[in-house]
Amino acid sequence: MNSLLFIIFAGMAIGCAISMISQRNPLYSAISLIGVFIALASLYVTLAAPFIAAVQVIVYAGAIMVLVIFVIMLLNVEQSEPRRQRLRFLVPLAVGMAAVLIAETAFILYSVQTSNTKLPGNISNVGLTSSIGEGLFTGYLLPFEITSVLLLMAIVGAMSLARRTEVLSSTARVVPGAQVLAMDIARPRGVEDLRPAIAQTSDDVASQMGVAFQSERTRSSQEDEA
Amino acid sequence: MEPQLSWYLALSAVLFTIGAVGVIVKRNVIAMFMCIELMLNAVNLTFVAFSSFFQDVSGQLFVFIVMTVAAAEAAVGLGIIITIFRNRESLDVDEASILKL
Repeated sequence: MNSLLFIIFAGMAIGCAISMISQRNPLYSAISLIGVFIALASLYVTLAAPFIAAVQVIVYAGAIMVLVIFVIMLLNVEQSEPRRQRLRFLVPLAVGMAAVLIAETAFILYSVQTSNTKLPGNISNVGLTSSIGEGLFTGYLLPFEITSVLLLMAIVGAMSLARRTEVLSSTARVVPGAQVLAMDIARPRGVEDLRPAIAQTSDDVASQMGVAFQSERTRSSQEDEA
Repeated sequence: MEPQLSWYLALSAVLFTIGAVGVIVKRNVIAMFMCIELMLNAVNLTFVAFSSFFQDVSGQLFVFIVMTVAAAEAAVGLGIIITIFRNRESLDVDEASILKL
């Protein structure tokens, strides 16, 4: 019975994982990854770890994947273009290295096969929430506290990364023609001047504002003279 | 026939390998991010399997901590992805091969 469950959920996990890396649309990849998470949670249940299974569904399939799908939809990514040619040799290289990795793992599993370990019976209380809490707050108290510091750092880092920085200060004026000048620098008296500049060209605006301004046209004509 | 410990380890190795291949092959930043999550989950499966077969709760505590790290990584990583997209209008990692936004 347990073997049957293992085969079902392991097949589901591997199938969803292969589907994840073969999809072109990131949204379908995300949905396949949710399938992997659900299959792994089911395997945790068969391994007598109900707390980890619940956390897997809530945190991974719930929180993290919702965040990922939110970002995918926020960025509105089109389907990825066909792969470019110049890094094509990496694909057989990746497959070869994966084969080596699998061979190594198979060898290790084959050589440790002699240790006969059995699934625990029902008397075990290892996976229960109470024993996990006991372990977290006695022997592993320091890692638990470090984890809280890590989460705080993640909050601060995510906020500082995703915040839009102010490009212009509040006293800046934009001269038409691709130049940004602060009025404090241009006119050190710094009197607030809100009169509109009425002119046809950038040069006229610059002369009205008393700012040295070199437009593309005058610069190119100077270069022609030189 | 009950499932052996080696079955779980083999499944974990296969999932980890699929995730590693995905990180190498994929070009989309979000897809690479999801492959990293898959690799973390493969390691979690190893932890839980050992914890259950050796009757030791430490493995499940480590899984708890790995999940916290994954959540922090999701927050910071998606912030970085949004910043890259804002600056480059693209999610292709080849566009962002220089460590400069």
